[in-house]
Amino acid sequence: MSAANLDRTLAALADPYRRRVIDLLRERPHRAGELAEATQLSFPAMSRHLKTLRSSGLVEEDRDEFDSRVRIYRLRPEAMGPLRDWLEETDAMWARQLAAFKAHLQKSHK
Amino acid sequence: MGSAACGVQGSFAEEPQVTSKVFIALRVPADPARTFLAFTQEISLWWQPDPLFRITPQGDGRLEFEPGPQGRLITRFDDGTLFEIGHICAWEPGKRLVFTWRHASFAPDQSTEVEVRFEAVGDETRVSIEHRAWDTIPRAHVARHGFPEHATLARVADWWRRSLAALRALD
Repeated sequence: MSAANLDRTLAALADPYRRRVIDLLRERPHRAGELAEATQLSFPAMSRHLKTLRSSGLVEEDRDEFDSRVRIYRLRPEAMGPLRDWLEETDAMWARQLAAFKAHLQKSHK
Repeated sequence: MGSAACGVQGSFAEEPQVTSKVFIALRVPADPARTFLAFTQEISLWWQPDPLFRITPQGDGRLEFEPGPQGRLITRFDDGTLFEIGHICAWEPGKRLVFTWRHASFAPDQSTEVEVRFEAVGDETRVSIEHRAWDTIPRAHVARHGFPEHATLARVADWWRRSLAALRALD
C-alpha cells in the first residue's frame, strides 16, 4: 500500500467542489466549462480545482477531437485504488479481530 | 512524543474535509465493563495476526494496551523490540476507547484513528469499531478537539460508499 498516494487522493477530495466534479465525471467526460457551470464556479476557480485533481491522478485531460482549444476531463478510476485497498483491508482486519474477540469472550464466559 | 496527535478529524471551521472510514459492530456475551477490560487487557490473548495485513514487517507481535488516558498501544516481539502502534486519546472504561493507529509502513506524520464503543444490549454488549483514515489536512494544523458534526460525517461516509461502489462497478 502506498501511503503517499492515498494521502494525495484524500487531499484532492477534501473539497466539496472537487467531489462534485468527480461525481459529474463518473457519468461521462465533461468540458471544463460545463464543470464550471454545473458547480456555479468561475472558470479560473474551476481550473484550479481541475489542476489539483489532475496532479492527484484522479482525472485526466484531453483535447476535444473537433476543437483543440477545448479541454475534456475524464475520471481515472484506478487512482482510487490505494484508498479502496485500505478500506477493504481495514474492514477485513476488524471483522476478523472482532470475531476473534467474541470467541475469546465466549470461551472465558463458560 | 513524535506520534500523531489525537483527533485526526479535528475540523477547520471554513475548510471542508473528507475522511474515509470503516465501521463494524458485533454483539458479545459479556457486560460492557467486562468487555472493555477484555478488549484492552486481554488483547494479546484474542488478537489474530493476519499474514496479509501486518502491523510491522516482523508481524503483529504481542499487542498490549498500557491502561489509562496517557497510555499507548504497543506490540512486543520475541527479540525484545517494541513498536508503538498508537497512543490513547480517550479511555472511558465500559464505554469508549479511542486510540491512534499506524503501521510501520506509514509515513512519519501519517496516522489513523480507531474508536471503539461499548453499549449494553440486555446483558450483552454491542462493540462497534470505527477506523478513520488519514484526514486531509496537514497534521500540524489540526486542532486537538472535536469531531465534525455527525451529519457531516454521515454525508461524507455516504459519499465514499457510493463512490467506492461505483468504482468497483467500473473495474
